[in-house]
Amino acid sequence: MLKSLLARLFDWLRTAAGMTILATIVITVAATIDRGPYILVNTIVTGGMLALVSMGLALVFGVMSIPSFVHGEYFMIGGLTAYFIITPLQNYLQAHPNGVLNVLAPFIAIGGATVVGAVAGALTERLVFRELRRRNRTNWVMNCFLLTVGLNVILVNGHQLLFGADFKGIVNYFTGPPLQIMGVYVSLDRAIAFTLSIVVIVGFGMFMRYTRTGRAIRAVSQDETGAMIVGINLEGIMLLTMALGCALAAVAGSSLLFMYPSYPTSGLEPLYLAWFVVIIVGLGNVMGALVGGFMVALFKVLTVEYIGSGWDFVVPSALIMLVLLLKPNGIFGSEVRGVLDQ
Amino acid sequence: MLLEVKNLNAGYGFLQILRDVSLKIDQGEYVCLIGPNGAGKSTTMKTLAGLIKPISGEIIFEGESIAGLPGNQVTSRGISYISEEMNLFTNMTVHENLLMGAYTIKDKQAIARQLDFVYSLFTRLEERQKQLAGTMSGGERKMLAIARGMMSMPKLVLVDEPSFGLSPQMTQVVFDSLDSLRKSGVTILVVEQNVNLSLSVTDRGYVIENGRIGIEGKSSDLADDPYVRKVFLGV
Repeated sequence: MLKSLLARLFDWLRTAAGMTILATIVITVAATIDRGPYILVNTIVTGGMLALVSMGLALVFGVMSIPSFVHGEYFMIGGLTAYFIITPLQNYLQAHPNGVLNVLAPFIAIGGATVVGAVAGALTERLVFRELRRRNRTNWVMNCFLLTVGLNVILVNGHQLLFGADFKGIVNYFTGPPLQIMGVYVSLDRAIAFTLSIVVIVGFGMFMRYTRTGRAIRAVSQDETGAMIVGINLEGIMLLTMALGCALAAVAGSSLLFMYPSYPTSGLEPLYLAWFVVIIVGLGNVMGALVGGFMVALFKVLTVEYIGSGWDFVVPSALIMLVLLLKPNGIFGSEVRGVLDQ
Repeated sequence: MLLEVKNLNAGYGFLQILRDVSLKIDQGEYVCLIGPNGAGKSTTMKTLAGLIKPISGEIIFEGESIAGLPGNQVTSRGISYISEEMNLFTNMTVHENLLMGAYTIKDKQAIARQLDFVYSLFTRLEERQKQLAGTMSGGERKMLAIARGMMSMPKLVLVDEPSFGLSPQMTQVVFDSLDSLRKSGVTILVVEQNVNLSLSVTDRGYVIENGRIGIEGKSSDLADDPYVRKVFLGV
């Protein structure tokens, strides 16, 4: 039994997916040994965030065939909402430092931000993409791309117009001594942010795999007509998918408010990084985006560490070029059907 | 009258295909729609299934007007469409595809019973339960499409070209399954290239040419009709 398990493991390791995951783990460990445990911590925390944003992007692209260049804005909206919820709460808590609210407040902020992110996504779908779907389905991919670029401009400038260009951040969510895990000091905020991202990812994965609605979403991404003829409400699924994808980005943006303050263009970096992930792993591949999130986070951390922080976009860009040359469908395989045919 | 279609006009964008198509199907009947390529057979099926919005005309199912309803609402009212392109979920297994076919059914036991029924008709599918639909042969995929269409326990099944691309044995299996379906009380409308076969198994038939219904009548009468024999049977 063990032998056949090992044999299957070795077979998988020889695939592109296996090799890259193995390489990622090995490189992380090597760099951690070389430079210190903060490499591992940074990779994991950034990875969790990037995985969430990228999975949302892959979901929207895979199910709705929308190459969203506005996805980062939901990260920004998440951070912004969390800021406006937590700041008054923290002011109140300064006068009342004891009590359950101390622990609950960050989660209220993150939860509220998630809801707002989901609503923002739902509104986008309802007001923009549903209208386009009714009017014209030719050149869908290109049209959606252009629409999202325009939306991006609106949201970035909307933020500046309504809330100003200042950085809106917090020092921390949780006050208290950092945790000590295997000789490494990890701040409470980072530990909780990472744990939350894992919980959300696992919950999302189980939803997609084991619930009727999750299966319906997967069905729509594989064959829209087939989904209709088995009785799935296409409009409802589109709305839910967009809301879900944007909520994932909002969770990332809100849970990391202590690390990434919100400001008008705070969504651009997550957007670009998420696109790096999605292109490298294969368009529309949601589970691949999960792994890819950690991979690209690792590249970023290593580049900043070994080369310099100004280079942190160069390495992922170079990797995209390599992937597009050698394995254009992405490392884990693309799951969009004939994107260019539409 | 289970299904009544009156003066249906439909097409794709600017191209009108169907012109004043009318037909009637009674509960329990086995009806075929035959005609040359491009006559509008598939367009008729797609419009009945809710995949195409008609330009004008009525589609009345069980007394309710369903013209213009989207595909999923047509399915939930008891009409199952098995398309020529099959539209299977290629990254799901046979079993998962069948479960998706029962999407509109809430009763878990009913789903289990229907699954048993469908596997008994298509033993090949039961053997390959865990195989991904995208990796199956053309004939197996056709069987899966029909099986999936049966899973929603429909009152009316619209089958588009069931034998297309199939070997004679597979064709036999498919038509045997449609026969079993018919015996279990389901009404069937079939579009079929194989005119001989369709006229021999069905009760009634409609001939469609250039988007208009021409001759109609009992299948046995149509098989004897000189025009039908000349144009479709090459006699």
